[in-house]
Amino acid sequence: MAMVDVRNVTKVYRKDAEELVVLNGLSLQVNEGDYAALMGPSGSGKSTLLNLIAGIDKPTSGDVVVAGTNVAQLGETQLAAFRSHNVGFIFQFYNLIPVLSATENVELPLLLTHLSKAQRRERALTALKVVGLADRASHYPRQLSGGQEQRVAIARAIVTDPKVLVADEPTGDLDAKSATEILDLLGTLNQEFKKTIVMVTHDPRAAERAKTQHHLEKGVLKD
Amino acid sequence: MKYLPYLLKHLRRNWFRTTLTVLAMALCIFLFCTLQSVLAQINALLDSTSAKRLVVRNSVSIVFDVPLAYGARIQSVPGVERVAISNWFGGSLPAKKEGKGDAGTDSSTTDWSNFFNNLAVEMEPFLAMYPEYQLPPDQYRALMADQRGCVIGRKLANKFGWKIGDTFFLESFIPVHRKPDGPFEFVVRAIFDVDPVKYSGTDQNMMLFHQKYLYEATGRTLQAGTYYVEIRDPDQAGQVSAAIDKLFENSDHQTRTETEKAFAAGFIAMAGNLALLLNGIGIAVAFTILLVVANTMSIAVRERRKEIGVLKTLGFTSGQVMGLVVAESLLIGLIGGALGIAGSRTIMFLLTHAPGLKDMLAGIGLSELPLRPMVAAIGFGVAIVLGFAAGFVPALSAYRARITDMLRTV
Repeated sequence: MAMVDVRNVTKVYRKDAEELVVLNGLSLQVNEGDYAALMGPSGSGKSTLLNLIAGIDKPTSGDVVVAGTNVAQLGETQLAAFRSHNVGFIFQFYNLIPVLSATENVELPLLLTHLSKAQRRERALTALKVVGLADRASHYPRQLSGGQEQRVAIARAIVTDPKVLVADEPTGDLDAKSATEILDLLGTLNQEFKKTIVMVTHDPRAAERAKTQHHLEKGVLKD
Repeated sequence: MKYLPYLLKHLRRNWFRTTLTVLAMALCIFLFCTLQSVLAQINALLDSTSAKRLVVRNSVSIVFDVPLAYGARIQSVPGVERVAISNWFGGSLPAKKEGKGDAGTDSSTTDWSNFFNNLAVEMEPFLAMYPEYQLPPDQYRALMADQRGCVIGRKLANKFGWKIGDTFFLESFIPVHRKPDGPFEFVVRAIFDVDPVKYSGTDQNMMLFHQKYLYEATGRTLQAGTYYVEIRDPDQAGQVSAAIDKLFENSDHQTRTETEKAFAAGFIAMAGNLALLLNGIGIAVAFTILLVVANTMSIAVRERRKEIGVLKTLGFTSGQVMGLVVAESLLIGLIGGALGIAGSRTIMFLLTHAPGLKDMLAGIGLSELPLRPMVAAIGFGVAIVLGFAAGFVPALSAYRARITDMLRTV
């Protein structure tokens, strides 16, 4: 069953009288439990496609059905709720909140739930344990290495048990060793925890870890 | 409340900036509360006056006397109920004990740190026209029987621990109110109380003594400082005032007669249009602080554009993000407001206890400057409104921002 079903999607950016077509009638399916890599040169539209799947942007035309919901038809508030329940986003530059500890960063998505403080804390610590950082729970981002920060970011992405994990260049800012650790973790999340993962990457070694690879060029799939 | 730790952490993000912003807000609320309290106390003082009382003074200036002979003529004006001489004594504690005074002694030898308002009055008619001063009948009789006797307000009695029968000395800085053989000795014969609800603005830190004592001790040359006049019909105040002034319009000592309220307001007006001045200062400061806090919040939102993008990505709605920004600004307002109110209370205590300054304030009837609950509540409300207003525009910017634009911020 398709967890992600992108149907004939077009995304056009307009600036004054100029139009920039970033995605041009693109269709893509990612099955449940799949680990898909989106690759392509800079400007090919892969990050734009990822944003549509994550629900942080809407297509100009076409449908984007994720976990059975057509995000293209949702309003802003509905999209926010959709993201909080269904999507875990992993950024290239981690984007942790610097004034919050690792645990507090991981807890952030849980503030949108009805869980008690103790329950939020327990789930955050569990997520940190999954990514192997339980001993760094009280550390602040400035006290963590790049790889550790990305692992905290992954913990934040999985703490709400989302249906889909989207990762935008998750190893782009890491050294080789840290990148390998992150890719190992993503692999574990896919194989052991059956998470559906859609990852944008330039890194061939990262793409090799994925089960399926899709190539974009000038807004269309070249598979 | 679950977002409060998040908000507090962000306030601690830049200690220096947050502290300065909070202090700016505190300064605004401090000024507002202090200035409004002064205005409120002045208004209470003016409200404590009676529409049935007029004050007759020298038309040139209050520092010039009015002849003693005028009293009987004023009494004869239609509409006048009673007349009482009054001289503002200007005496202060502690004074030298009774004995030979030093030649050339001047006011610089007198300690002004315990100054309180003291008046020499024709006691019987003066007390009759001031029903707010409540004296037990036996104390009244004792007061009237002793020329050295004085009546003091309850707060003054408590301040110095004076009881009925206690004696003290006062020495005036006004040369014509000084006697060659030393300071004036007074005996506390009565202590007056005031209905706090009906006469909330009446000064209880004051003393009244017999004008005859002052007159005789200074060689029987003293004239009247002012005449207090009680009229039968307050609606006749204008007519009676004009009639009194007309009596003396062709004399060497022309008079100016006005209501007690106008007379009191005249002292306040010596500082200019105080209400306009103080309110103008308050508005200017509040507007400035609004800009300061708004600037701080704008900088904070600009610095955290990516963070706001992340929050929205995680599922926070635009409204929730906007609420967090406004809440942070409100928190600055609340903390600053609380500090400002505390500071205002402190400064007003100091104003009424600082040597020199408290004497000046006591001289115009402002011996007390309480921070009224209503003023504090309004001040707190101003802090909340300023906090909200300062955070609104930056919050709106965060509300409207697209996630992809914010995540792209370098």
